[in-house]
Amino acid sequence: MNLTFYGGQERGLINLDPRTKFLIFLASGILTLSSYSDTGVAVYSLFLCVVIALCGKPLTAIKSALPLGVVLYLRAVLPLSKGAPSLIVLLITALSTVFMFGFPMVMSLLLIVKTTRISQFLSAFQAMHLPVKVIIPIAVFFRFLPTVADEWNGVRKAMAFRGIRLSPVQIICHPWKTIEYVLIPMLFSSIAVMEELAASTMARGMDVDIRRSSYDRIKLGVADYCLILIIIGMMIGVMILGHMVKGGIAI
Amino acid sequence: MIRFDDVSFHYGGENGTGEGVDHIDLTIKDGEVVVLCGGSGCGKTTITRLINGLAPQFYPGEMEGCVWVNDTCVTKAELSETSRVVGSVFQNPKSQFFNIDTTSELVFGCENQGMSREDMQERLQKTEKEMKLETLMGRNIFELSGGEKQQIACGSVYTTAPSVFVLDEPSSNLDRKAIHRLHDTLKKIKSEGKTIVISEHRLYYLMDIADRFLYLEDGILKQSYTSEELAALSDEELSDIGLRLTDLSRLKRKQSNEDCRANEPAIEAVDLACIKGGNQILDIERLSLPRRSVIAVIGDNGSGKSTLSEALCGIGICDGSIGFDGVYLSPKERSQKSFMVMQDVNRQLFSDSVMEEVMLNASVTREEAERILNQLGLKETAERHPSSLSGGQKQRVAIASALCAGKEIIFYDEPTSGLDRGGMERFGRLLSDMRESVTSVIVTHDPELILTCCTHVLHIENGRMLAFYPLSDEGLVRVKSYFMSENDDNTSKTRKEYGVFGRVLKYAGEWKRYIFLAMAFLIAGAIFGVIPYLGIYDLLCKLLSGQAVTLNSAAVDIGIVLGFGILNALANTWGLQYSHRGAYHTLENIRISLQEKLDRQPVGNIHELGVGAIKKLFNEDVESVEVMLAHVIPEGFSNVFVGAAVLLVLIAVDWQMALFSLVILLFGFGASRQMYTVGMDRMGTYFASSKRLNNTIIEYVSGMEVVRIFNRDHQSEERFEESVRNYRDFGLDWYKVCWPWMALYGSLFANMTLYSLPLGALLVLLGHIQITRYILALCLSFALGPLLVHTLALIGTLPRVNYKIQSIEKALDRPPLKCGEEAFKGKDHSVEFDHVRFSYKGDEVLKGISFTAKEGEMTALVGPSGSGKSTMAKLMAHYYDTDSGTIRIGGQDISRMSLDNLGREVAYVSQDLFLFNKSIMENIRIGKPEASDEEVKEAARKAGCHEFIEELEKGYETLAGRAGNKLSGGQKQRIAFARVLLKDAPIIVLDEATAFMDPENEKKMNDAIEEITRNKTVIVIAHKLSSIAKADKIIVLDKGKIVSRGKHGQLIESSREYRKLWNATKESDRWSLKGGRINGTYGA
Repeated sequence: MNLTFYGGQERGLINLDPRTKFLIFLASGILTLSSYSDTGVAVYSLFLCVVIALCGKPLTAIKSALPLGVVLYLRAVLPLSKGAPSLIVLLITALSTVFMFGFPMVMSLLLIVKTTRISQFLSAFQAMHLPVKVIIPIAVFFRFLPTVADEWNGVRKAMAFRGIRLSPVQIICHPWKTIEYVLIPMLFSSIAVMEELAASTMARGMDVDIRRSSYDRIKLGVADYCLILIIIGMMIGVMILGHMVKGGIAI
Repeated sequence: MIRFDDVSFHYGGENGTGEGVDHIDLTIKDGEVVVLCGGSGCGKTTITRLINGLAPQFYPGEMEGCVWVNDTCVTKAELSETSRVVGSVFQNPKSQFFNIDTTSELVFGCENQGMSREDMQERLQKTEKEMKLETLMGRNIFELSGGEKQQIACGSVYTTAPSVFVLDEPSSNLDRKAIHRLHDTLKKIKSEGKTIVISEHRLYYLMDIADRFLYLEDGILKQSYTSEELAALSDEELSDIGLRLTDLSRLKRKQSNEDCRANEPAIEAVDLACIKGGNQILDIERLSLPRRSVIAVIGDNGSGKSTLSEALCGIGICDGSIGFDGVYLSPKERSQKSFMVMQDVNRQLFSDSVMEEVMLNASVTREEAERILNQLGLKETAERHPSSLSGGQKQRVAIASALCAGKEIIFYDEPTSGLDRGGMERFGRLLSDMRESVTSVIVTHDPELILTCCTHVLHIENGRMLAFYPLSDEGLVRVKSYFMSENDDNTSKTRKEYGVFGRVLKYAGEWKRYIFLAMAFLIAGAIFGVIPYLGIYDLLCKLLSGQAVTLNSAAVDIGIVLGFGILNALANTWGLQYSHRGAYHTLENIRISLQEKLDRQPVGNIHELGVGAIKKLFNEDVESVEVMLAHVIPEGFSNVFVGAAVLLVLIAVDWQMALFSLVILLFGFGASRQMYTVGMDRMGTYFASSKRLNNTIIEYVSGMEVVRIFNRDHQSEERFEESVRNYRDFGLDWYKVCWPWMALYGSLFANMTLYSLPLGALLVLLGHIQITRYILALCLSFALGPLLVHTLALIGTLPRVNYKIQSIEKALDRPPLKCGEEAFKGKDHSVEFDHVRFSYKGDEVLKGISFTAKEGEMTALVGPSGSGKSTMAKLMAHYYDTDSGTIRIGGQDISRMSLDNLGREVAYVSQDLFLFNKSIMENIRIGKPEASDEEVKEAARKAGCHEFIEELEKGYETLAGRAGNKLSGGQKQRIAFARVLLKDAPIIVLDEATAFMDPENEKKMNDAIEEITRNKTVIVIAHKLSSIAKADKIIVLDKGKIVSRGKHGQLIESSREYRKLWNATKESDRWSLKGGRINGTYGA
């Protein structure tokens, strides 16, 4: 399967349950917010890369791990380089910090959208006993992303014929006009798609109070349990460690 | 059962396509197939919505009465309840999928019903098989074509197996094959006893399925027809009530032959090639579309029609040159001069009133614009918001905006999908009216539209131009035969995406390991290559710090420099050894896979490619992959890797030096990138000219003989010289734009030290860095330079290699010959042509040939040159596949037999004789490899070639290649005939078997033919009618059609064409009589 988004993970060595992926996403948020050490985040980020690689996307993992390595290296080396003006060092440090701490969030999001099918989302949400009223909008949101991309492609082509160019000059000189040109066709065509999509979905039996089954097997496996244990362990560790560091600062 | 009890429904909001329906009383029995028809807005769609419950539950409105499906009132029941009994397929394939991948979509309905996984699996398998969806499983919905999406939609309803199927214009986006499949699917569903309700504009494919046609008008059920009653309506009557054709064979042309004349070209394209995701979608050598015409682009789903039109109008990326009105234009210029009316016209409307919309970037005055709107019947809507208009009106607004902007070429993507007859005809008239000022190109699946307004037809198949012809009387027949052909193969291929590397590596197979190994060795080698510089650095440091450098203290450093130097050499040697081993084995794999592909190709395709091109393919093109595998991948990768590592080390040494080097590097990369972009623009033309040169050389050499005798005006030489000059000019052109950039990055990279040397010195003098670090930085730049130059040299070869690989992949990806595995199991050996059509390079050579050649009879095919006789012989030998129609032997379709098995039944002597460079004995023995020498000689005797073979120097052992020059055409022909005699196949096809013979031998030959052809099926093609006058059946062909058939006696009476041919033969016979020889003929 060659889907850029919402592909399955048939080619992966492990097949993660979407719920585990959501836990990883959650953990990424918590960990990056409560950890203050480079090493911690770096280890966790590399761990995420490994998980993505195991889920059948080794290329994504390598492509993400490389810049991470470079940033880590820069952070390690820069203070050693003598004579560098402090402003530049500060700037680079600040940028790299944003990168470092944003990295796990982005990676775990990638993990979700690259290896989970829409139908798996639905089943996983259901297994989490979320009310259908909550599930459908989220699933529809995910479903709609590629549609918007598709529409955008079409609109851009249409603009070419009408002599509407999306050049920076145009955007700066006529920001409202540009937004109008982009939004009007996008909205009208998206609304049309949306309505028909809703009609079709309902006519095929999707409803608020149904009990769905799932063709994809949604079950926590050994890999899932291992990962969950690792992540919970990490969280506890970092919480305590982070707490101690904070405590240290307080003292 | 479905029951409507006095149902009225009117939409509340802005939903829906029409006003609603009034007082519908209707009962549809179980197992009945009902088609709802009528013009747009007549309420068909509303009725389907009432059945699946969407109205009023999803589309609110005023509802009276109740609709019952079985015992449920679907207008009140929950939608999820209704969905268990009613399955729905909608019109717009792009908005009816909840999932992104096809497999999940197919089981979506089942999941909603809470079905168990085992059941789902079983049903999924059934759907896959019954609906022929094998190639569409597990794919991204977004990459499917419209027709493919609709197949999935039907499939996913089929999977839930409801008792009522409701389809709302399911065929709108389908091609003929998909419609054929839809037809079969519906038939299957009907046979399972399900009830089907279809709202549809296209009626012809439903005629044999539907039990009733319900005609609606303005929301009222007007009339109910059985399919017989509907079929009995004449075209005018159908037109009056706004219904489309019920029978495609009744298609009539509305435009005259005069309309279809060839004008000067409006659009020209040369060497179009388009690659998406590593697959070549388009490959068109030359295309020219005339001005003042309406051109229909036809072809099956996914054949590249949309890609072609996007490429032509400048919004799609493609290689090659495209010009409008004889001027070559860039894509941007093309998009300014042309316009495309998209299938989803919503995307093209940007403003909040129609007037503003057409005035946006318009080149006309307001009055002009008003006139144009008026012309298009949009006068009243000028102040309305575009989104409040109907689909057809929106389409016309888009056309108006194109006209106002002064565009002269307008493309349409499926403009009439979902239009009723009135809308379709109005649209057709509009295009015809605009023809004087605008050239229109329509991508369409709608034969009715084509015959309403188009003047030319462009047929695309598998990314290639199959044919381009005017819609004259003959064109009409071709279009009709395309749309009515019963072929329903699934053309959609599973497309795999590969980059340049992936594409080559997939051939490497198990040797991939070697390439990775090579990569590892070369990385190590490059690292070893950097380390000596560190040794030198250490040595220099010691010097500079004032230590006395003795041999002892320097020994370690020298050891490092020497040791790693040796290691570097070793690692590189090993690495290159592995990479070459991997590379050459991969080349072997590529060649074998090419050869396998070549074997499966129709002979015609191979001829079309030409010996020269195939040789180049196997030799040079494949060879160029070696560079890629042995050098670019392993060396390039390791160089980049180490280069980056060195740069990182440099940062650690000193950030200023690093920054400076980085700036230089960026400049260098910028230059190489620039070279790449400007070079790529010209690469296409450069390669095209090299291809042309190649062809010209072949033509020049093979035509040398003719040229020397006849061509005194040096035309051929001039052509040759011109190609050579062109090649030189394009090549120089390419280098001219590239060399400044090449020189720039070359000097930047090679002399990096030159730039960092003074800067570093300055920094040292200013005291910013220590001298030791300065030296280290210098050493590193020394190491970096060569790596980069080498890498870029490799990168420079990439486009060339990529082009070659694509040409390798594309060359032989034409549809292979359709071959089954069956053995011969026909009941006898009669040969039957059944409505066979065949075209070669766009020209239709055979136009519906039907005849039977019986066993034990001699059937002769006669006709003037170019009437298609030899083509028929080749089709019998299965050199090609037919376009439509079948050829059967004893009732068995020959395309179901394997070539081996067919070869055993049919012996074919062609006009082009080929003798292998083996002994004549062996050459004859090819007919039957196990034959003894005696048998061979016996056959030779019968064929009348024993005597002259014996007279040769070494008799039967003479090498045919060497003797080839001594043998006359007639002698070669007799040798070929001996082969056939030896083979003794039950069907014998002789194509001009006596063409090169003198009368004496011809007589012998004819005797021999008569001798061996008893109890066989013999098909003879002859120019000289005298030799076939005794045939049991003579078929007279003219321009690809059978004009008459019968025996000699009858034909000479009845057939004018035959008489003409006969007289011509007698004329030539008289010439030979004058020569003093007695001609032995049968007929006289």
